[in-house]
Amino acid sequence: MFKFFSSSNIYFLIQKLIFFINSIFFLILIIGLTFALVLSPPDYIQGDSVRIMYVHVPAAWLGLACFSLITLLSILNFIFKIKNFYFINKSIAPIGLLFTCLAIITGSLWGQPTWGTWWAWDARLTSMVVLMLFYILYILSFKFLNKEELIIKISSIIAIIGSINLPIIKYSVEWWATLHQPASIKITGSNSVHSEMMLPLMVMLLVFLLYAALIFLMKYKTEIIRIKKKNIKRN
Amino acid sequence: MISNYILMNGHGIYVWLSFSIVFISCAAVYFRTKKTLKKYEQEFLTELQSLTLEEKNNALETSKVARQIFVANSKVN
Repeated sequence: MFKFFSSSNIYFLIQKLIFFINSIFFLILIIGLTFALVLSPPDYIQGDSVRIMYVHVPAAWLGLACFSLITLLSILNFIFKIKNFYFINKSIAPIGLLFTCLAIITGSLWGQPTWGTWWAWDARLTSMVVLMLFYILYILSFKFLNKEELIIKISSIIAIIGSINLPIIKYSVEWWATLHQPASIKITGSNSVHSEMMLPLMVMLLVFLLYAALIFLMKYKTEIIRIKKKNIKRN
Repeated sequence: MISNYILMNGHGIYVWLSFSIVFISCAAVYFRTKKTLKKYEQEFLTELQSLTLEEKNNALETSKVARQIFVANSKVN
């Protein structure tokens, strides 16, 4: 069982997965863009600006999901000392930062026609900026610290402290009066998004997920090669 | 008809700009990641080539990863 998770087998699996994602990605991207930009109807209040939702919402979800995963793996790494989690986190963090920045930028572009302003320091927007800052701190800890043990310790502390911000982001629209609307899609309970908009949103979420997986696999493959390069003379 | 679609009742600028920023940033990150991966593969191969024949054969025999990078690069070259 543990032999299956050796870096050689993981490397082989990564190559297969990269090939698979590359072969289906553009087809799903074209379907997603057709739904998002052509087939989905305009909103009865927001008009066509609602189409920004198809990039803004998946980017925000993935930004949050990446940090949640980083926190979980950091805690597990603290307990079980599994070094692989450190490399996984190192590969996930830039993806999370990219999506968080995209969520903030597209949110600002959506805010101008909808709220009449590019930016407001309300709870949801501010907590997303805080998340972005935690991502930057987390990535900087890899760049500026030298000892691996110290990097693991500091980055894990940053991730665990940063995770306090995650429920604040989620519930900010309920706890405070914000410009940002409350959640329209809920895992439990009904959601207020019409199926004609829900389908494009789910297809675009799949596009973003595949893209995130592709970048993660390429980054993780780079990490494996980096480690193997260090150990090549020892073999 | 087409200009109406592009303008989207005055919202076109925000929609197209959002999609363009997402597309360009994602493409930039993809190509940068790919370039870094290729760079590390090349560095790994250079390191492998710098070994003595015995060390190189030993590395290729014991490390599946080394073998896969070596074979993949041989195909490309």
